[in-house]
Amino acid sequence: MILAIDTSAGTSVALIEHGEVRAEITVEDNMRHAEVIGATIERVLATTDTKAHQINTVVAGRGPAPFTGLRVGLAAATMFAAGIGAKLYGICSLDAIAFNELTRGENHPLLVTADARRKELYWAVYQGLDQDGIPNVLHAPAVNKEQDIQEQLRELNLETVHAQAKMSAKDLGLLAHKLQQANRLSQDVSALYLRAADAVEPKPNQRFGKAVSG
Amino acid sequence: MTIHLRRATESDLTRIMNVEIASFGSDAWPATSMRFELSGPHTHYFVAEDDDQNIIGYAGLAKLANHPQADVQTIAVSEEHRGKGYGRQLLERLIKEAVNLKAEEVFLEVRADNPVAQNLYLSLGFEHIDTRKRYYQPADVDAWVMRLRLEAQDTKHPLVLGIESSCDETGVGIVRGNTLLANVISSSMDLHARFGGVVPEIAARAHLEALQPTLEKALKEAQIDLSELDAIAVTNGPGLAGALMVGVGAAKALAVATGKPLYAVNHLVGHVGVDVLERGEVVTPTIALLVSGGHTSLLKVNNLLDDVELLGETIDDAAGEAFDKVARLLDLGYPGGPKIDEQAAKGDPKAIRFPRGLTLPKDMEKHRYDFSFSGLKTAVARWVEVKEAANEPYSIPDVAASFREAVVEVLVTKAVSACLDHNVPRLLLGGGVVANARLRELAQEKCEANGIELRIPAFSLCTDNGAMIAALGAQLVMAGRKPSSLDFGASSTLPVTTVQTS
Repeated sequence: MILAIDTSAGTSVALIEHGEVRAEITVEDNMRHAEVIGATIERVLATTDTKAHQINTVVAGRGPAPFTGLRVGLAAATMFAAGIGAKLYGICSLDAIAFNELTRGENHPLLVTADARRKELYWAVYQGLDQDGIPNVLHAPAVNKEQDIQEQLRELNLETVHAQAKMSAKDLGLLAHKLQQANRLSQDVSALYLRAADAVEPKPNQRFGKAVSG
Repeated sequence: MTIHLRRATESDLTRIMNVEIASFGSDAWPATSMRFELSGPHTHYFVAEDDDQNIIGYAGLAKLANHPQADVQTIAVSEEHRGKGYGRQLLERLIKEAVNLKAEEVFLEVRADNPVAQNLYLSLGFEHIDTRKRYYQPADVDAWVMRLRLEAQDTKHPLVLGIESSCDETGVGIVRGNTLLANVISSSMDLHARFGGVVPEIAARAHLEALQPTLEKALKEAQIDLSELDAIAVTNGPGLAGALMVGVGAAKALAVATGKPLYAVNHLVGHVGVDVLERGEVVTPTIALLVSGGHTSLLKVNNLLDDVELLGETIDDAAGEAFDKVARLLDLGYPGGPKIDEQAAKGDPKAIRFPRGLTLPKDMEKHRYDFSFSGLKTAVARWVEVKEAANEPYSIPDVAASFREAVVEVLVTKAVSACLDHNVPRLLLGGGVVANARLRELAQEKCEANGIELRIPAFSLCTDNGAMIAALGAQLVMAGRKPSSLDFGASSTLPVTTVQTS
């Protein structure tokens, strides 16, 4: 059984068994990840009458996403897996959105975006599914202003349709199932920040004269 | 050669059967039965394995859910490894498992003609309670039935794991009651050095990466596994919001995964509660002075779990922050505390009279127990600037010593006044600035002069750490407090009056 956890938008948790969705709970509020993560996992287990140790695979959405919320899901997935001795894997959250649209038959180049705040978007482009049923990536995840994204797409000569699906842990879990079958799951669960931490190195002290020691 | 015990899996079947057949010959269980034993829902098997993954022994326990009795199914050690205590280790592991499964009694049968095994069982507390005549056939040997009574679940000394992530240290600590079992800290201090202070986003990123390895290390150090825990505790404030949220998310998921109760506890009260690990209790009432890079707080602790008052705190910079800023001003490096200390040791603390924040009579009316270090830092900067503008040489050790004296004197004077004003003859120090030699020295001197008992926990327990969170969690468990709900959040300004967030 796969437990999928994603906090790249709201808090979304799903349970997948044999490639079928057993349950999914999504709390849309994107300011309360730390508050709701525990109870959301617990409810997914309770509604499916599942014991934690029955889960053998935990998959975490790696973003890209605003950092604070994203980390809550990654921390939770890491510790849930540690708590039951399950295997832990990571998947780019945008891949899950693409998976949703592409498995529903979209065959144009697909632009997937997510709010990156500061008037920027996280984005990636996909087209079609490969032989394992996994979305083909045409442009890897990046963060830019919308007009710059459009410009880059023009330069790449890509006419895209814009994905409408919302982030959902069930898509993450279903994609994980496909990847697992193809033996292509990745153990990389590092956060896709795509931006350096905001931190400014202080200017060196201005020195007028010379200090002496002793 | 070292031998490790671990849980057996079905894939061990062949190697277990080799030992089984060698040990029991014609009495050996068939592989089909053994496979059932290894995979059954009510059986719990362990193997002893050497460095080359050779299985040299195994043992199994059966315990039905909601049934108070457990049975030792089998235990075997291959002949060349007997007499080295591996059988005892395996049996002790089964007993531990029985305790975890909440069994009240463990039963076993042993051949009446096997005194070596009987003595092992007797030494572990088993009693001979019955004899089954001619139990072993065809050898026609009697069986002794032996029983071990397990103590009622040990609620007096709960095993608690604590997670701390409020600033730049990822801490995981494990305690049993008031006994420290593990205290593992992963610090991101080096990553902040070039910024001259803790950068919240960098700290939060580092917590996420450090969590799992820190947990693994702590479990290894304490030699326990998660299933043995009685509870989990986590800091939910005060501290840096993004950093706290990593620990909160982690602790909640760990609690749901393991089915353990979760306690959300106050970081500052944790600094006080840590004293139980060294002295078995926090003697109250006590005044506590907590000084770090993030906090400068003076507390009156009437009762650790129910009655903590905030007497005062810094109204601007924390003391540790002032050390960092002044060290930067003097080009001494980060973190500032030890750098200033090093220079100050060579300087004259009376060389320059820097201001003592909030000590003037007009300030004392409103801010009797509050602190302010921002003005002091500016005074040092001005003083240096003037000297340099005039191209006058000056002594860095003198500046460092005079600055340090100004900080330490205010801290100690206000803490001692709090003791005297409230008639509390005890002062406890906590927080990373306790590493400062002059702070400890002056506190010792003033406390002795005023008949105040001074408590300074070991430095590894003074800096931010998970053990103090585990210790406070254990105190809550021992007091019979209900666990927190799963709905609490991280609170960067959590007041000290909230010891546990429900």
